[in-house]
Amino acid sequence: MQALAELKDQIRKALPELDVVIGWQQGYDALHTRPLFIRSEEDIDKLVVNEFCVVNPSSYLREMRGGKKVGLVLKGCDSRSVIQLIQEELLNKDDLTIFGFGCNGVLNHAKLQARFGDIGYIESAESDGNTVNLVVAGNKETAPFAELCAEKCLTCSYPNTLQCSHFAGEESDKKAEAAQDKALEEFEQLSMEERFAFWQDQMRRCIRCYACRNACPMCVCKDHCLANSRQPKWLSEDVDVQNNFMFQMIHVMHLTGRCVECGECERACPMDIPIMLLRRKMAGIVRDVFAYNAGTNAEDTSPLMRFEVEEPTIEERH
Amino acid sequence: MRIGVFVCHCGSNIAATVDCPAVAEQAKNLQDVVFTTDTMYTCSEPGQNEIIEAIKEHNLDGVVVASCSPRMHEATFRRALERAGLNRYMLEMANIREHVSWIGKDKERNTVKAFELVSIAAAKLRNNNPLFANKFDVTKRVLVIGGGVAGIQAALDCADAGYQVVMVEREQSIGGKMAKIDKTFPTVDCSSCILGPKMVDVAQHENITLYAMSEVEKIEGYVGNFDVQVRKKATYVNWDDCTGCGACMEKCPSKKNLDAFNEGISKCTAINIPFPQAIPKKAAINPEGCMMLKKGKCGVCAKVCPTKCIDFEQKDEILTEKVGAVIAATGYDMFDHSVYKQYGAGQYPDVITSLQYERLMNASGPTGGHIKRPSDGKEPKKVVFVQCVGSRDPAVGRPYCSGFCCMYTAKQAILTKDHIPDSDSYVFYMDIRSPGKGYDEFTRRAQEQYGVQYLRGRVSMIYPKGDHYVVRGADTLAGTQVEVEADLVVLAVGAESAKNAPALAEKMRISYDSYGFFMEAHPKLKPVETNTAGVYLAGSCVGPRDIPTSVGQGSAAAAKVMTLFSKDKLESDPQVSSVNASRCVGCLKCAKTCPFGAIKEVTDRGGNVKAEVIETVCQGCGICTVTCPQGAIQLQHFTDNQILAEVNALCQAQLDF
Repeated sequence: MQALAELKDQIRKALPELDVVIGWQQGYDALHTRPLFIRSEEDIDKLVVNEFCVVNPSSYLREMRGGKKVGLVLKGCDSRSVIQLIQEELLNKDDLTIFGFGCNGVLNHAKLQARFGDIGYIESAESDGNTVNLVVAGNKETAPFAELCAEKCLTCSYPNTLQCSHFAGEESDKKAEAAQDKALEEFEQLSMEERFAFWQDQMRRCIRCYACRNACPMCVCKDHCLANSRQPKWLSEDVDVQNNFMFQMIHVMHLTGRCVECGECERACPMDIPIMLLRRKMAGIVRDVFAYNAGTNAEDTSPLMRFEVEEPTIEERH
Repeated sequence: MRIGVFVCHCGSNIAATVDCPAVAEQAKNLQDVVFTTDTMYTCSEPGQNEIIEAIKEHNLDGVVVASCSPRMHEATFRRALERAGLNRYMLEMANIREHVSWIGKDKERNTVKAFELVSIAAAKLRNNNPLFANKFDVTKRVLVIGGGVAGIQAALDCADAGYQVVMVEREQSIGGKMAKIDKTFPTVDCSSCILGPKMVDVAQHENITLYAMSEVEKIEGYVGNFDVQVRKKATYVNWDDCTGCGACMEKCPSKKNLDAFNEGISKCTAINIPFPQAIPKKAAINPEGCMMLKKGKCGVCAKVCPTKCIDFEQKDEILTEKVGAVIAATGYDMFDHSVYKQYGAGQYPDVITSLQYERLMNASGPTGGHIKRPSDGKEPKKVVFVQCVGSRDPAVGRPYCSGFCCMYTAKQAILTKDHIPDSDSYVFYMDIRSPGKGYDEFTRRAQEQYGVQYLRGRVSMIYPKGDHYVVRGADTLAGTQVEVEADLVVLAVGAESAKNAPALAEKMRISYDSYGFFMEAHPKLKPVETNTAGVYLAGSCVGPRDIPTSVGQGSAAAAKVMTLFSKDKLESDPQVSSVNASRCVGCLKCAKTCPFGAIKEVTDRGGNVKAEVIETVCQGCGICTVTCPQGAIQLQHFTDNQILAEVNALCQAQLDF
């Protein structure tokens, strides 16, 4: 893969100036990658860039505040979270070197499992953004990309890394499959009662393991999360519908105008609760009301992070 | 905790639709409530004494009063608690009058809601902490915005009381609308003769600093300590040296500029002093008319000026002033009559506004006090006055009555007869509104003694016919349509809020209504105060006012300022935000969203960035508390825990009466 060779080359050149470069390496099988922390030349060859580089490497950044020079290999969606953190002055732009490339989308393990049974039988999977070629238990299979990819890739408008220092290979010309968020639209067709019943069911299943919070690159409060706070006490330790719902709503509210819809929360959820629906809804409201897309320009300020007597995008009385 | 609950009947105001004894009885079941009672008037002296005695007898450490809005009596009950030795913030009020008894008739449901509000208040009280006010110094200087008659009166009263006054006037001279008026109703005495001496007093008073041609750019700070930025607009004349001799005006070759003081009925030179009695009497160059400023050629004024005070390079200047109080007396503007296309307003030269007519009648006006038609300079023999132009007309978005037009129209009709004895005047009116001392007698005099024809009805259109005009309207008393021929038509235009009033209101952080008039703290009981401490109002910036009311309000606002300045120290409100440093992660999102710049960045001993609230600057709006993702910044007396307790109480309260 040309982009990968170029990436390695760029990282090799930049590495002497950097403390660490975060990327992906092959995991325990063909379908999994795990984070790679490149600290020396030997580590560079472990780098992989493929359809299973799902994890957002910027989630590791919040542990690294304090002047370290960090390199990051980022997909388009991942780069948005970094940009958003720079905007909020939680990261220093000068400490970061971003290596970008054109992404054709990532695959979703749950969808693979649903289609081919145990994913242990899948020996390899490659995609060009339109079709996926797989080897399942020795047999070659082909499937349309849209049926196996992560939900976020269907509506992705940023396949190329934004505001990066280095860009490897060719830009992806992948277009969003649908301008509208189909799943969200369908959900909103339901009546209020049906929707409420749906969320009650989902929230009943939530075990409040906080995997969604820990995977979220925008959850920067570390040990000070409101969910664990006794003073003020917003939530009880009870794992019931009310408290779970409250926690999820707090998470969404705290992401208003900040969420870059990277999908890490939903991917990390062990209970497969579709919490991205809530985030996509909120991001849509922010787009409608403030004409703002989180994490696309480091010079912007998120609409809820400033005070204006009159918002330019909201028609008020005159 | 030991809580006492006092449910007020407010005579029958509450008791008529709320079962007060039942609310008091049920409140006994609330957590930590040890004493409840219901009283006829809790705010009365016996009512307050009952609270004080109950606190002592039952050893209470918190009190819930279920009565009216806290805006009404919170201060009263807080004082009662202090008299009994409790901290004043250990009081909670449940508003069961405005929020319950006055808005619903169903006694059963009202009683349930009243109890719910009591249980919310009790739940919050359980989370209350005693709070203590800090004291801070007062800057005993006052800013008066606007130099009309209201502002002049306020400034003179404050200055006479010994306080320094900074007066900011947008125009070249103070005097406002009253300086343009010829005579005043109902005494028909000369307006500038009674206003002139007051204007001179402003100029000469040692305690008053006057900035004319200036606007307030920014107001920061809080009661007792405002930092004001004043933009002094470029006049291109060095006012320290200008003597107001007027030599420049005589020689200026650019003579066709809009004369704003004369309401556009005459032209003036590019360098100009608006009127002979102007204060300060200094010349200023209108950059739109000046050839030197536009094309770089001319400079005649600089040559003839005996004191060499012309400065074409002059720029706007920003001055800063520290004051302790602000009086807004920004007045009003005239309604733009040109929206009445059917009257030919702005099109026909002899259809003019009432203020233009004042200038025509004024001895120091462009015609020297001779009424002449703008079109041909002839003396009009038939003058028609049309009232309610831009007043009481929802079609143009002005449903309110401007209040003073009936009176000035009667005055103008009388003066017309005085100026031109063989003239006839007609007035189209909707109603004659003359509630004031000697006002109604005055309008009667216009009709009976001066023979002014009053026609009750609106005018539908005005059209030219030969060298005069025909005014067509209804005469609703006769039930017919009438057409009246006129040589001159005077439109009694209404008042609207001053230009840019909303922007100024936002600078002062006060509210304004949908028409742009400033809002009083209470329309009856606090007519010159605002909801922002230290900001007061006077005159027509609140709504149309006549001269006596404006002067009265000027003095009233001054009295409020003097009351404020009579104290050497003010108490700060402890209901402000405070940061729990151990929870703060130093993201400083609070600082970015704070509208008042009340949060600063500090570093703790460990070198960690933390937010810190500047208590005197914080207004307690609470935006920071909703911004902080950790809940590390809390608004005292409205903490997350207190609000959550209220919500929980509301969700749990389920009782049948």
